[in-house]
Amino acid sequence: MEVMEGVPPVINLTEVARTEKEEFEKKVSELIIEFGAENLLACMQCGACASICPLARVGFEWYNKKLIKAILIGMKEELLDDSTPWACVACNRCTEICPRQVSPFEVMFAMRRLMVEELAISTLAIEGDRSLYEHGHAVYMTGREARKKVGLPEKPPTTDSDEKALQELRTILKNTKLAELGLIPME
Amino acid sequence: MSDKDIRIGVYICHCGENIAGAVNINEVAEFAKNLPDVAVVRDYLFMCSDPGQEIIKEDIRKGLVNRVVVAACTPRTHEPIFRRACEDAGLNKYYFEMANIRDQCSWAHWHEKEKATEKAKQLIAAAVAKARLLEPLEDRYVELNKNVMVVGGGIAGIFAALDLANAGFKVYMVEKNPSIGGNMAKLDKTFPTNDCSACILTPLMVEVANHPNVELITYAEVESVDGSVGNFKVKVRKKQTYVDWEKCTGCGACINACPPKARVPDEFNEGLSLRGAIYIQFPQAVPKKAVIDPDACIRCSGRWFGEEPRRTKDGKPILAPCEKACPTGACSRDEPRDPNGELIELNVGSIIVATGYKVMDKKQFKEFSDSPNVITALQMERLITATGPTEGKLIVPSDIPKYLEWKKKVEKGKEAELEARKPKVITFVSCVGSRDNRYHTYCSRVCCMYMLKQAMLLKEKYPELDIYMFFIDVRTPGKDFDEYYMRCRNLGIKIFKGKVGGVQKLPDERLLVKGYDADLGKPVELISDIVVLATAIEPNTDLKDLARKLGINVGAEGFLRERHTKLYPVDTMTEGIFIAGCAQGPKDIPDSVAQAKAAASSAASLLAPGKMKVEPLISEVNPEKCTGCGICVELCPYGAIEMVEYNGKRKSKINETLCKGCGVCAAACPSKAITLHGFTYEQVVAQIRTIAKKGVIEEV
Ligand SMILES: Cc1cc2nc3c(=O)[nH]c(=O)nc-3n(C[C@H](O)[C@H](O)[C@H](O)COP(=O)(O)OP(=O)(O)OC[C@H]3O[C@@H](n4cnc5c(N)ncnc54)[C@H](O)[C@@H]3O)c2cc1C
Ligand code: SF4
Ligand code: SF4
Ligand code: SF4
Ligand code: SF4
Repeated sequence: MEVMEGVPPVINLTEVARTEKEEFEKKVSELIIEFGAENLLACMQCGACASICPLARVGFEWYNKKLIKAILIGMKEELLDDSTPWACVACNRCTEICPRQVSPFEVMFAMRRLMVEELAISTLAIEGDRSLYEHGHAVYMTGREARKKVGLPEKPPTTDSDEKALQELRTILKNTKLAELGLIPME
Repeated sequence: MSDKDIRIGVYICHCGENIAGAVNINEVAEFAKNLPDVAVVRDYLFMCSDPGQEIIKEDIRKGLVNRVVVAACTPRTHEPIFRRACEDAGLNKYYFEMANIRDQCSWAHWHEKEKATEKAKQLIAAAVAKARLLEPLEDRYVELNKNVMVVGGGIAGIFAALDLANAGFKVYMVEKNPSIGGNMAKLDKTFPTNDCSACILTPLMVEVANHPNVELITYAEVESVDGSVGNFKVKVRKKQTYVDWEKCTGCGACINACPPKARVPDEFNEGLSLRGAIYIQFPQAVPKKAVIDPDACIRCSGRWFGEEPRRTKDGKPILAPCEKACPTGACSRDEPRDPNGELIELNVGSIIVATGYKVMDKKQFKEFSDSPNVITALQMERLITATGPTEGKLIVPSDIPKYLEWKKKVEKGKEAELEARKPKVITFVSCVGSRDNRYHTYCSRVCCMYMLKQAMLLKEKYPELDIYMFFIDVRTPGKDFDEYYMRCRNLGIKIFKGKVGGVQKLPDERLLVKGYDADLGKPVELISDIVVLATAIEPNTDLKDLARKLGINVGAEGFLRERHTKLYPVDTMTEGIFIAGCAQGPKDIPDSVAQAKAAASSAASLLAPGKMKVEPLISEVNPEKCTGCGICVELCPYGAIEMVEYNGKRKSKINETLCKGCGVCAAACPSKAITLHGFTYEQVVAQIRTIAKKGVIEEV
């Protein structure tokens, strides 16, 4: 796996701070807090969240703890192209374990929101977005044949089988940044 | 009681399983019964317990025994207990002897039960052999002088003095500097509550100075200490102030008169500004009196104290500017002054040493450059405090001269623009000289917290400041301390795990900082306007010398050593001398005050009875046998022996109050003229012979 893509061997904190102050409208930490990670600043970098995060365990670079640190020192550009937040499985183990009640999961999701806001979406997210647009589910189950075999309707009784609801959802999606990006509609 | 009438009771303790697990108690008891002069042998599960002691007392009361041997654990902890039991039952408590069959026997030979049993027999036999030769001794009492000397007038010294003075003891406070207050007087605000240091310290300084039971002796140092607990004789050298303190009102007129040429770095501002040769230590000084630094004084008028003044053409004497400025004549040079100052003699019963610390100079750390914008944390305190060189205005230290120029102009009523640079970025570096084998291996304990404090104060006052902090790790173990740390994090102060390895001076007086971020696993770099070094808390340079005068110890790191880390934390190996505050080791104000109060109460409980019991287990010279060789005088580690006239000859004599009963002299005396009571030559030899004969006591 490519290690810390976009981050030079020596981090120039002055440059990071200058970029944050002069080129961004808001501090990265402020944005992440606004996007839902209210307790971001309380992180003391203990690493408990990383110790149990499945992403960290399979080798994603910007797992919870590290992402938080990068945000705290004001990095953004380096993080936007990364796919890690999209890989977060929302298991919330980190939320349970964090001694400072930071809820690193919220940071992950706030980061997703920031990415969409900044029109920087990882390829990893596109499959999910497509599935959401088509079926109303970001993670769509594949077992249609199996459902049929046991006598269940092919589609579950969710948005997937409710044409009206699906249209409404698509309308919403068309009004998001995803549409601006050209990712929606996906026909 | 004649020697013939010796009835020894031997009491063998099982110590639960501790002794009985390795030593065959029955076998040992049978053996003891056959030792000479043994009248009674008993064993019990816990001899030191109430019922155990009662067994011994009962035998004494019934007249069954008149010497007691307890075979049990260590005399270090248990001898006093059994001695008291003997005394309670009416037996002279020095008719008691102990055999350690636990620490030195059952524990040491736990897996060799037979050998352990054999050894226990021999140890008991040796104790019995000694017990046959014991002599009754009487406790002695020494009168205690109820005055106390407190050395050092920092926060620790002040509290120790106040507590004792309030309890009615007379206190002499000896302080090296012209004013009391110590390092705390230099601080801006104090963690963990951020109250202003001066606001909480100054009233205490005034209180101690005005207390009817306290006599302040400032600008003075301890020259020598003689005597011992209860009766110390101290010589204190009051340095020459060159200013008549009776007349000096502390108005400060002289200070401004002192010319620029005579200015030297101001110690109180940690060298960030200059002071004159005549100076008042700081505006809130107590006592607020001026002194002349003779090394800095350039002898303006061309004359020194006591010399004839030069005169103008019309015959008027030419005075030094300070002399001229002083409205009370306090610094008049008409009279000569002794450069050695004055020697003051004090008699005190106890001494508390609270001489504090100094911080390491940044000069030793070449890796952080010699830029004036790299400062120690104590300099940072001066830079942010309202009484500091810039009156609390935050500018880069390299521009302080500009500030001082500007201020002078403004004071003279001129219009002027201050062109000093304000810092935008400040970097803190932890553990400079601490936790570093090249300097000090210990952690200085307060720097993590004061760095967080300074960062917090700065960030709260100047939110636009960028603050970077580099720690090996953040140590916040006190009450409310970690919460304090979290406050800093929540302010958006950037905290890094990893130490700064180098600082480079840039041409524009800014600094290139090279650090490491362990969280991202990468080296980091930044440009900073000020770099603050948390330099280590160190023992004062003269602490070793003072300790030597007092006869107390310093540890490997150079701080004063307590008698026992856990149980006697403010006592020293010399009875009657206590320690408190940073002189004992780095610590914060709450801990310094707690120790000060502990030291005060220890001194008070020692002196309050007015007299003190001392054990009679000390040495005595038989002048008839002493040949006056004087070997013992040099050997005695407590300086207890001196040579005196006895029937026209030089003989050695031991001072009862100083002798600690170590026995060095008795062992060395070639004429066997010295007896260590409780361990006489005959007693010790009888023990050795018995062991050598594997438990058989020889009749002598
Ligand atoms: C940068 C910095 C910031 C700090 N901030 C805080 C804080 O916010 N909160 C906190 O709790 N603690 C703080 N501390 C720690 C605090 O300074 C100490 O805990 C406290 O000052 C210790 O008091 P003391 O009386 O033991 O020693 P000192 O204050 O050093 O006083 C010792 C006194 O003894 C005198 N003396 C020395 N040698 C002799 C001698 N031979 N004869 C006679 N007199 C002598 C000295 O002149 C001095 O007056 C800080 C320390 C530093 C370095
Ligand atoms: S567990 Fe919480 S405090 Fe620890 S690193 Fe993760 S977010 Fe930070
Ligand atoms: S919720 Fe996301 S960030 Fe937290 S442990 Fe699970 S996968 Fe990792
Ligand atoms: S208190 Fe903190 S900065 Fe000071 S030596 Fe200890 S760990 Fe280092
Ligand atoms: S017994 Fe020790 S302390 Fe006492 S006089 Fe002899 S050498 Fe000194």
